[in-house]
Amino acid sequence: MCEKMKKVLTIACCVFLLSCEKDFDIEVGTTEQKLVVEAYISNQSPLYTYVVLSKSVDYFNPIFQSIPVKNAQVSITEGNVIANNIVWNAASKRVLSEVSSPLLPSVFANGLYIDPLAVINPSQALVGKVGKYYRLDVLYENNAYTGITNMPDTVRLDSVTYGFPFVNSDNENKCRITNHYKDPDTLGNTYFYYWRNVENKNRFGWAGLFKSRAPGRDDSNNGEYIRITHPQGINYNDTITYMLTSVNRNTHNFWDSYLDARNNNSPFSTPVLLQNYISGKNVVGCFMGLSVSEKTIITKP
Amino acid sequence: MRTSTMRYYGFVLMLICITFSCANVFAQQITIKIIVKDNAEQLLPNVSLAINDKKLKSDTAGAVVQLLSAGKIAIAATVVNHYNFLQSFTLTTDTTLQIVLQQRQSLLNTVVVRSSRNVSANQMGVQTISAEVLRKLPVIFGEVDPLKTITLLPGIKNGGEGGGGVYVRGGGPDQNLILLDGVNVYNPNHLLGFFSVFNGDAIKSIEVLKSGFPAEYGGRLSSVININSRDGDMEKIKTNASIGLISTKLGIEGPIIKNKASFIVNARRTYIDQVAKPFAKERIGGNGYFFYDVNARASYIIDKKNRLNFNFFNGVDEFTFSNDDGAGRTFNTNWGNTIAALQWEQKINSKLSHTTGVVYNRFKLDSRFGFSTLQFLFTSGLKDWQFKSDWNFKKYDWLKLKWGVQYINHTFKPGAGGVTAGVTNFETILQNKYAHELAGYLSADVDLLPELNLIAGVRYSYFNQVGPTEEVIYDGEGFPTGDKVKYTRGQSLAKYQNPEPRLSLRWKLNETGSIKLSYANTIQYLQLATTSNASFPSDLWLPASKRIQPGKANQISAGYFRNFKSNMYEFSAEVYYKSLSNQLEFKPGANLLLNANLENEMIFGNGKAYGLELFLNKKLGKLTGWIGYTLSRSERKFDAINGGKAFPYRYDRTHDLSIVANYPLSKKWEASAVFVYGTGNALTLPVGRFTYNLSYNTTENQPIFTNINLYDKINDFRMPAYHRLDISFAYTRRPITTRRYKSSWNFGIYNVYNRTNPFFIYLSADEGTQKVVGKKVYLFPIVPSVTWNVKF
Repeated sequence: MCEKMKKVLTIACCVFLLSCEKDFDIEVGTTEQKLVVEAYISNQSPLYTYVVLSKSVDYFNPIFQSIPVKNAQVSITEGNVIANNIVWNAASKRVLSEVSSPLLPSVFANGLYIDPLAVINPSQALVGKVGKYYRLDVLYENNAYTGITNMPDTVRLDSVTYGFPFVNSDNENKCRITNHYKDPDTLGNTYFYYWRNVENKNRFGWAGLFKSRAPGRDDSNNGEYIRITHPQGINYNDTITYMLTSVNRNTHNFWDSYLDARNNNSPFSTPVLLQNYISGKNVVGCFMGLSVSEKTIITKP
Repeated sequence: MRTSTMRYYGFVLMLICITFSCANVFAQQITIKIIVKDNAEQLLPNVSLAINDKKLKSDTAGAVVQLLSAGKIAIAATVVNHYNFLQSFTLTTDTTLQIVLQQRQSLLNTVVVRSSRNVSANQMGVQTISAEVLRKLPVIFGEVDPLKTITLLPGIKNGGEGGGGVYVRGGGPDQNLILLDGVNVYNPNHLLGFFSVFNGDAIKSIEVLKSGFPAEYGGRLSSVININSRDGDMEKIKTNASIGLISTKLGIEGPIIKNKASFIVNARRTYIDQVAKPFAKERIGGNGYFFYDVNARASYIIDKKNRLNFNFFNGVDEFTFSNDDGAGRTFNTNWGNTIAALQWEQKINSKLSHTTGVVYNRFKLDSRFGFSTLQFLFTSGLKDWQFKSDWNFKKYDWLKLKWGVQYINHTFKPGAGGVTAGVTNFETILQNKYAHELAGYLSADVDLLPELNLIAGVRYSYFNQVGPTEEVIYDGEGFPTGDKVKYTRGQSLAKYQNPEPRLSLRWKLNETGSIKLSYANTIQYLQLATTSNASFPSDLWLPASKRIQPGKANQISAGYFRNFKSNMYEFSAEVYYKSLSNQLEFKPGANLLLNANLENEMIFGNGKAYGLELFLNKKLGKLTGWIGYTLSRSERKFDAINGGKAFPYRYDRTHDLSIVANYPLSKKWEASAVFVYGTGNALTLPVGRFTYNLSYNTTENQPIFTNINLYDKINDFRMPAYHRLDISFAYTRRPITTRRYKSSWNFGIYNVYNRTNPFFIYLSADEGTQKVVGKKVYLFPIVPSVTWNVKF
């Protein structure tokens, strides 16, 4: 093939394979400010039961940091289901406040609400109990907000194994971890998979952990024995604390919508709104109950 | 002009051969068989023939057989868009006469809107484009595409730059009944919608009905797109090929039994993957994409009254992706249609005829996604067995009846998947769905007065989703209750039946003008599950069920039709109003893959569309072409979206303008140009944002979070207006030749002035510079193309 023809074909291929991007001026509207609620209760450390409150901004606002909501009144109350109704135990009410967590520099306490006992007397601090219901109450600027969740039964994590060695693009030896558990026969179980290792040990918060949500729910594989090997590469000699985390359907759906909403610039999809499971005016968020079954392994070479 | 054109093509005109058989010259009655073809050697049905004073029509095989007395006879043949034929000779013995009607060259370059039909036919909203027009109009990469070309007609829109769907009068892309030789094509697109599956070399013509649908058509709400493939040559083997920028096409046709049976096969394959590999081996690696399609047709004229046609279509897209970065990402998918149809055309007598056929139709997707040890297998599809029988009865010149029955046995495969690699082990199998779709229709075409024609019809459709299946019961919030209901084979899960009345009226004002009215009620039992504007292989066709009600549409339209200057110009102005109900949308962020409770992801609403379409078509003269303009509005209304308020449909286009022109520069060169303008698509943009999924990196003292967008009104923003100019030049080295070998070149420039029409736009928030900017991604800048066509 002559050089000329090669050039023509190369140009043609580039035209075909590449698309281009340009900036352009655009004006979009404004919207009412929303209260954003990110709230967790778990059967883990009481410092991992917390509420983050923040505010939304107009799209063209130059602020890109989280805008903490300070001085809100935040509480969590425990409840039981009696005759298909949730009965709230007023005596169980715990008030959460913006105290400094020992896991965080004090500067980050703004807008982060935890049970103060988690700092001064952790054994008496609020920890989620499997089977119980919990109600989150927030009072902010005279507006009341409520979220309800439950702590589903934990599903026993039989074991966590590692293997499938590979060399990544940085020429590092890696392996992968596999969970082993049996999905209960009861239909409707939903899961998150979290783990803590050397890479995230200095991060605070559920969002700071590695996580994977496939298959997430058991609608189509109820009662099967599940083994999932996570694709992420793990270092050898790492200590992995693996958390098989049962959540309710609302929590699962909320995170599904979160995963879609964070990819909203796709040309092929309609914009996704983050689902809201908090009642009140101009609010978005979810109160999530996480029932964790945990195992720790060391990835020996 | 006409005289010169006649002279120009005079030597090819008309009589090819007259053969005399050795029949009994002493018989009183002599048989004359007339076969009418065009200059492309396509048999021409429905040609008006006059043998002496007797008026006849050619049958579907382009033939007429008559018994006549010996002596001098005069034969005249006329059909629109062809020069008339008139010949006298003395008939002495049984004779077979082949008439070749030369297509009017001037009309080859324009839309074949039959001159008489524009005013006199009682059919509104119809547009037809011939293969010749398709091949000459400029198209991207020189890839002739009938579905792209019809969007140059008023009321028919595309999805914007790169968009694959066809949107007719505010309807969705799944609301078009796309028929290839009468068989429904479920997935009409290749390459995410950039190209259609229809090979321009295999096509004879394409016709679009936007309103006043005859009763024989049903199953879709918004349009009927009829694509007719070519018959093979009955006399000699012919081969054609074309080499373009991204694909090569090859076709062969010829007789199986001379003048009795023929075949035609056209195949196309893209080779962008093969061409690109030598130049960018490292970048392309193991990735690749190609599509191919094969069109085949065989025809057998059993006798003067019976004819068999066999059609086959297979189109496949194949995409592979692998990334050897250690993570082991792979993606391999192939998808496509396979269609096989056998049709029997029978002319029982001069008044009664039918077309009866059986069809196998399959759409199949097979995908394998891999990420490290996770390997998902996902298959889905749809398989139909269809029987249809359509009958025509012409009792009198003023009364024509049509009736028929159509039955489809559907099998839906909503998806099956599994994870097979490593020790990861779980399986997901979604159950097949089965359904019967049955329809019968009756229609009468009556000339009530010389000026007034009425076509009244009714279609009665029935749909039944049946077992075997096991239905999981979900509560109101979509959570499985744990209960299941089993359905045995054939047991009904949900059934619907609906009458679909159709009515068309035409009042002829005079020989050059008419007014037309039409009403059509249409029902759609199958809907396409998709959340995107691109044609993705993951799209699923879903049957009507307990929760999914069949889509319904009512359309009323009125129009004024006028021809000017001896039919040199055709003009039409049509207004329409269409209401749509039981429209299906997915919840934003719906999970469509391997979702056992897919129906819970759906929401249902209504819609409406209305507009004005103006069409001016210049058919004769050196300069030919048309101008089409549409002023329209299309809305949707869902309780669960936009606070229950109506919002613009994504493809609502207030103004839509197309200008098409064709001009012969010389005997060898011909130029064409297309200009399009359209209001930008409606879309939803964020009005606010917030941070979520907050965590803290205590080593670096940094918060970590994700910015999430806030939205307000749906489709409240407009993309920039879409406009583009394309030009092409066709060069034929020997336009008049008796040689077997013929070649021509097509040179095209797509998007001449390099307009950056956005494929999509998005807003980008740069946290580093603390700036928010709009970004538009565009696919096709100025794109030249060249195609070499050869026939031998």
